[in-house]
Amino acid sequence: MIKLLDVSKLYENDVTALKNINIDFKEGELVVLKGVSGSGKSSILSLIAGLSKPSSGEVIVDEKKISKMADHFISVYRRENIGFIFQKYNLISTLSVAENILLPLVPLNLKKDELEKRLSYVLKLFNIESKRHTIVKNLSGGEQQRTAIARANINSPKIILADEPTANLDEKLSLEFIEMLRDLKSQNRTIIVATHDPLFFNLEFVDRVLEVSNAEIL
Amino acid sequence: MLFNKLSLLIFLSLTLFAYPQISQDIKDKKIYPMGEKIYKNRCSSLNINDYKSYEQLNSAIKDEKKCGSLSSKYSQALSLYLWDVKREDVKAYEKLSVTKKDKCQVCGMHMHHYPNWVSRIKYPKNETYNFDGMKCMFKFYFNNKEGITDILVQDYYTLKTINAKEAFFVVGSDIYGPMGHELIPFKDEKSAKSFSLEHKGKQVLFFDEITEYLVRSLGR
Amino acid sequence: MSLLVSLLASTLFISNAMKTEYNSILDSYPNIIITNQKAMRDSTIDENLVDRVLKIKGVTSVVARVWGEYEFTQSEKKFMLIGRDEFESYASPTINAIRSIEPDSMLISVGVYEALQKAYYREYFNFIKSDGTLKKITIQKGYIGSTIQEQESLIVMSKENLKEIFNYKESEATDLSVSVANENEVAFIAGKIKALFPNMKVVVKNDLRVEYENIYNLRSGFFLTIFIITFFTFFIIIYDKVSGLNSEQKHEIGILKAIGWRVGDVLNAKLYEGLIISLFSYLVGISMAFIFVYVLDAPLLKKIFLNNYDLMSDFSINFSVDYETLSLLFLLSVPIYIAATIIPSWRVATLEADEVMR
Repeated sequence: MIKLLDVSKLYENDVTALKNINIDFKEGELVVLKGVSGSGKSSILSLIAGLSKPSSGEVIVDEKKISKMADHFISVYRRENIGFIFQKYNLISTLSVAENILLPLVPLNLKKDELEKRLSYVLKLFNIESKRHTIVKNLSGGEQQRTAIARANINSPKIILADEPTANLDEKLSLEFIEMLRDLKSQNRTIIVATHDPLFFNLEFVDRVLEVSNAEIL
Repeated sequence: MLFNKLSLLIFLSLTLFAYPQISQDIKDKKIYPMGEKIYKNRCSSLNINDYKSYEQLNSAIKDEKKCGSLSSKYSQALSLYLWDVKREDVKAYEKLSVTKKDKCQVCGMHMHHYPNWVSRIKYPKNETYNFDGMKCMFKFYFNNKEGITDILVQDYYTLKTINAKEAFFVVGSDIYGPMGHELIPFKDEKSAKSFSLEHKGKQVLFFDEITEYLVRSLGR
Repeated sequence: MSLLVSLLASTLFISNAMKTEYNSILDSYPNIIITNQKAMRDSTIDENLVDRVLKIKGVTSVVARVWGEYEFTQSEKKFMLIGRDEFESYASPTINAIRSIEPDSMLISVGVYEALQKAYYREYFNFIKSDGTLKKITIQKGYIGSTIQEQESLIVMSKENLKEIFNYKESEATDLSVSVANENEVAFIAGKIKALFPNMKVVVKNDLRVEYENIYNLRSGFFLTIFIITFFTFFIIIYDKVSGLNSEQKHEIGILKAIGWRVGDVLNAKLYEGLIISLFSYLVGISMAFIFVYVLDAPLLKKIFLNNYDLMSDFSINFSVDYETLSLLFLLSVPIYIAATIIPSWRVATLEADEVMR
């Protein structure tokens, strides 16, 4: 359901991140993009989320050409379909856990009980219910990560993208994360993880491992 | 000059109680107001009609001290006031005041911005019309002469309400009313002439001398 | 922000209060005051000139005034002495309201009473005449004085007694106060008077009013300075905001875009933010100004305004709500602040979210 057709991405400083990439992702797949930093895997995630546009080629998700969409519609597309877990988490440190998690839903003007329902669901699911009102900057690394994951899930997205999710975690927390991934996979979401952490390379619930190197897929 | 006046006054005051020769201006502006105040404060019980001559009245006040002890300056002021003003019981017209809502009958302007220029025409049964100056008033007058009881204007210098039919009007002066060129009313000819000289007036006219043509020619 | 608004508001309130006060003081001034001068210094005038001025058409009344200052050394206070004739009418309502003064007595104000009391004068006071002898005047019961100035230092006695204290001859007076019924004619009549008495000082009330307005209104020196300073500071704040957000704020907006916010949503939120902040500072600022000026009586700021006075030694600040001033301040602060918040946010929000987060 996700297609990258002949996609190239050049950045302003003349760095080629991707060169004529062609990939298909099936619905419900869990794919790991393996590669070192700067190989272009993060750019792929960025394109799928609509956070950037390809310099050439098309990105098609669910039959929609998102590379051609206007900013307004892309934001809506992102809100409805994508849950992104950033490498640096990108949480708003001055807000609490609950506030951060609910942030994507704010423009939707949902009723209070609906918000509460979804919030408690993800809080429980990712085990941070006890830290609900804590300000993010007072959380440990693991807790912040769980908050980021919870936020990515609050809108029940079809696609979950994770960029180097375990880069800042110790082994114990990394394994915890992998467990959460397993749970998410069982919910039939399409999950793409970009990482160079070897823990991901031999998991039995991973469908595919694609190697990305020097702007190309091997 | 001053010394002569002084000695004249002294001489006059020595002449027992004779009616003093004082200019009308000074009487109006200084002596009558002072006399009125003395009358109100000291002898409102005095009946002016008891006295047949000025000398009698003055003697009663000065010698018999009917109103308490008063210096000669005050007793003269009181006597003059009582004799000239109170006795006539001159009819005083009402002050021509207007509210914020009142509009000129002819031109429709709100008059409370220019209270000094208000004029009024009255008919029987309290029918009253107010105007924004004399020009508007005359325009109305020429078309509605029937049954008028009073035409009232304000004397320019003192702003006292006077009967327009007895007033003198100066035309063509450099003083403009709210509607432009105006006929400026005065209570006596002397004031009107004095004003006309100082303010480059073209004519001094009595009420009856004012024509419709003249009023029209003063412009909108 | 609040401080700025309150500073501005306070200054505006104070100058309004001053305007009202001096306007009411001037209301009780006569239209024209004629003062004799010798060698261009104020001197006494001959009472008999009253009749000459009365002859001028348009003059409603003329009063020869006797008044002056008297230094009360025991308290370093200056008293304002005014002479009054029982049957004359004066421009000042306070004087006119006096019913009667006993022979050789005076009516005093509260401030005078307190000063005299401190020096043990309770029932009378001995004025020192210019020849060194004393003139004893009894203090009559009852206080007079309506404006603050009057309440501080007013003494009223008969013209006769005052003339004696000042060593005036019988026909001498301090100045002539001229009333003219028709406002239109005042300037013209002042001209006639000047022509009649070329060596006398003729002061027209309206000129005084204009002069004081110039000192105490928006165009005045120190008011303008304060105004400029606050405005300048305000603009620096605004400029700082408009010229771009800091990286933290940019990052935040990027995050919001990344999790699915549209540009419109971001601006909406920023609008609320800006509105709440500016409204809040506006209200706080105004309230602070209100309290500072009307409750605390504006300590320091008042001194700044009064520094150049001639007319008032102090003035009471009465509560008055001036909608014009309040709306002006509102329009100056709130919309501008909101615009300054939204514009840079808009600029950032329309970039590609990815760029921003890099």
